Amino acid sequence: MISIGIDAGSRAIKIVLLDMDTLEILATGIADQAVRQEQQALDLLNRLMGENHLGSTDIGRTIATGYGRNGIRAADSTVTEITCHAVGVHHLLPSTKTVIDIGGQDSKVISLHTNGTVRDFVMNDRCAAGTGCFLEVVARRLGVELQQMGELAGGSQAPAIISSMCVVFAETEIIGLLAEGTAPPNIIAGVQNSICSRLVSMTGRNTCPPVVFTGGVALVPGMEAALARVLGQTITTAPQPQMTGALGAALLAARQGQEQQKENIS
Amino acid sequence: MCPLIKSTYGYHVRKTNPFLEMADLIVAETTCDGKKKMYELLGQTRPTYVLELPQKPNDPDAAGHWRRELVKLQAQLEKRFGVTITEEKLRGAIELMNRERRLRRELAALMQSDNPPLTGRQLLDFKSSISGIEADLQQYQKAIEIFKARLVGVVGAAGAAASQPVRVLLTGVPLVHGVERVLEIIESHGGLVVCQENCTGIKPILEDVECNGDPIQALADKYFKIPCSVMTGTTRRQENLLYLSRLYRAQCIIELTWQACLTYDVESYHIKKLSEEQLGLPYLQIETDYSPSDSARIATRIEALFESIRSQPCFRKTCPSCKP
Repeated sequence: MISIGIDAGSRAIKIVLLDMDTLEILATGIADQAVRQEQQALDLLNRLMGENHLGSTDIGRTIATGYGRNGIRAADSTVTEITCHAVGVHHLLPSTKTVIDIGGQDSKVISLHTNGTVRDFVMNDRCAAGTGCFLEVVARRLGVELQQMGELAGGSQAPAIISSMCVVFAETEIIGLLAEGTAPPNIIAGVQNSICSRLVSMTGRNTCPPVVFTGGVALVPGMEAALARVLGQTITTAPQPQMTGALGAALLAARQGQEQQKENIS
Repeated sequence: MCPLIKSTYGYHVRKTNPFLEMADLIVAETTCDGKKKMYELLGQTRPTYVLELPQKPNDPDAAGHWRRELVKLQAQLEKRFGVTITEEKLRGAIELMNRERRLRRELAALMQSDNPPLTGRQLLDFKSSISGIEADLQQYQKAIEIFKARLVGVVGAAGAAASQPVRVLLTGVPLVHGVERVLEIIESHGGLVVCQENCTGIKPILEDVECNGDPIQALADKYFKIPCSVMTGTTRRQENLLYLSRLYRAQCIIELTWQACLTYDVESYHIKKLSEEQLGLPYLQIETDYSPSDSARIATRIEALFESIRSQPCFRKTCPSCKP
């Protein structure tokens, strides 16, 4: 039997298929989020199942997470992304004490008990400043790809100061910097620093090590280094950082599925 | 500016609050700077009288100053309305309001049960229906009897622990009529607000007004003891929270702060510390306003809080620390 974790995030849908008994990852997949979220998730799931020669009778249990979790009818239950990231990261890196997750519209800092359960967490409010959405706006405005940002920022001699936290105001600020002739690498480095400072203002600098970085933004080159610099700590980026939420959901699904099997036997 | 002040002023401008429209005089108070300045604008077209609430309750001059504020209000009322406020009349009003407070406390106390007969949202609704009118008080008494009867019926019939709601102590800013959203989100995501330590909850009714002695002094004493967040140098709110969270066996503390409410926002530092270090309870602060745009995000945080509480082994068993 397999368990399935579906993370319906704001920018991407991530799916992890897990062997329910060995907890071995069988497949992972990712697709861009769009208007028809549920269909998008189902298409991705069907593709992964087909590629791995799995059928619906192989499915033990499915859990959906992410902000779109309640729209995934294929799931047996839902769990928040906060719990899922904690479970996913603890499984991969069991000594983790703090998870920093920066996604498309959320940034959150989760502190863990030694058994991997959530001790406390902070999350941005309604504003998407300091998230992946912010980076996208900047990349678009500067005409660069997200993947180029790290390399470009690496060449920055004097990172610009970006003081606006609001994405809309920050864009205006960047237009002003461009008009003054500030070099794009300095702007990018400034934006990365601003995202990290925003995160530090949320956590209050009391991130207990080891700190693990997850979410789509962890894939953007240069972000890990910027975060480590601002926090003054070593940061480890999780393997497949976009997948930890879906992995956590799949692990929880496996746990629930096993409990169910036990109940059925007894 | 916080949404509560904007909303109060909005009612004033649009003349849509019947109580405000019926009032011959607005008796206002300095419980925050924003309201204090708002009353200046309100006072341009409505008769308004502002009481100055002392901000340092432990100062030796504070209590005397507050009593003098009430004496001046009495004189103002007598002059404005051509009446004499006698001690007998004051005592009558005190007794009536004490009775109302007792009824409200009695209803709130039903939430101490393992399986309360009503939700926090329903309890909050009762708050709005009461106004010191004899007929209302009688209705209130009936409601208590009905709920008490239900209480007897369900004790011991509690379902499986895993499906039981998480007991929440809600603290912070008041939830005035029409903005009960956060309470509703808590209770529709697996929580039960067993105690509301705020100005629309149990905070102002924890104590009665003394019936004997000088009634003005008794009134001054009672209201002076409410730990308004505008005050400084008092730990009475923390003491109340300590007492209430144990009495109501809260499993977490959720603090609501209206956006731009400076005093509650800063005070949340002490409440988080108290919650985690002294009470050993998870704490979550929600800062929001009257618009529903962040409801989904608030729900995620509340759900995550409840997931972490349910994942603790003591949630499923009868935890000794969860019992009084």
